[in-house]
Amino acid sequence: MSFIEPLELDQIEDAELRDLVLRSEELGVPGGTFARIIARKPEQAKATLSVMLMKFTEGNIDHRLKEIIRVQLARFAEDPHSSALRSNKALDMGVTEAEIDAGSGDYEDSEHFTEAEKVALRYADQMFLDSTKVDAAFYDELKKHYSEPQIMELGAFIALFHAAHMVMRSFGAPAPTAH
Amino acid sequence: MRHVDLIVTDPDAIDAAYYKELRQHLSDDEIVELGNFLLFNLGYHTFFGTLKFYPMFSPDGRLVSQEESERLYGAAPSSLQAQAAE
Repeated sequence: MSFIEPLELDQIEDAELRDLVLRSEELGVPGGTFARIIARKPEQAKATLSVMLMKFTEGNIDHRLKEIIRVQLARFAEDPHSSALRSNKALDMGVTEAEIDAGSGDYEDSEHFTEAEKVALRYADQMFLDSTKVDAAFYDELKKHYSEPQIMELGAFIALFHAAHMVMRSFGAPAPTAH
Repeated sequence: MRHVDLIVTDPDAIDAAYYKELRQHLSDDEIVELGNFLLFNLGYHTFFGTLKFYPMFSPDGRLVSQEESERLYGAAPSSLQAQAAE
């Protein structure tokens, strides 16, 4: 049980928020537990869930790559709950546990990823391990593979989900028993 | 402030005993509100730091170039509040 009790669905009176909670559950990420915890502050929760769902599922970066990066970040944050979640959209697109594990491990030498995917994984990895390495030379490397809008999409996604995992860890939610 | 500090620097210290202490000062709704606030600040400050951009305005309110802003504010963040225009 988490330190902060998630609300039951019938405790969420705002219809827009209830819809966002259900969308979070249906996608599998950020998941119902997170959504129902932050639903205690309805107006803030609506903004947060809208942005998280949009940044995760929309844009011009492969959703499978985003899911692999998301799990890398969740494991990096040692957030057991978010680490255990899986995007049903990414699963439908064919992402595998082998790819997810490779993204959190020695991805540089992995045959699962293209050079573009490796530099995106490195972006997430270095952003919070040693952001001084994300310098002008690193952005030049990113620009060999991605447009500037795509780099901003990746950076904003990484920043938001890294923080979400740190916050979720502070709520103390354990790994779900099934997903 | 200690709660935000721990989330970032020592998340292992956040356990049931810690929450018991925290609840003497903050409600569950307030703890969630703090988490929500941090969610939009923790990662973005690091991300923005890698982009090396500087404030558009000088402390006295002039619109300045990025080069001039870098000279004014420097590489390390520091408050120039005392020099700010009224």
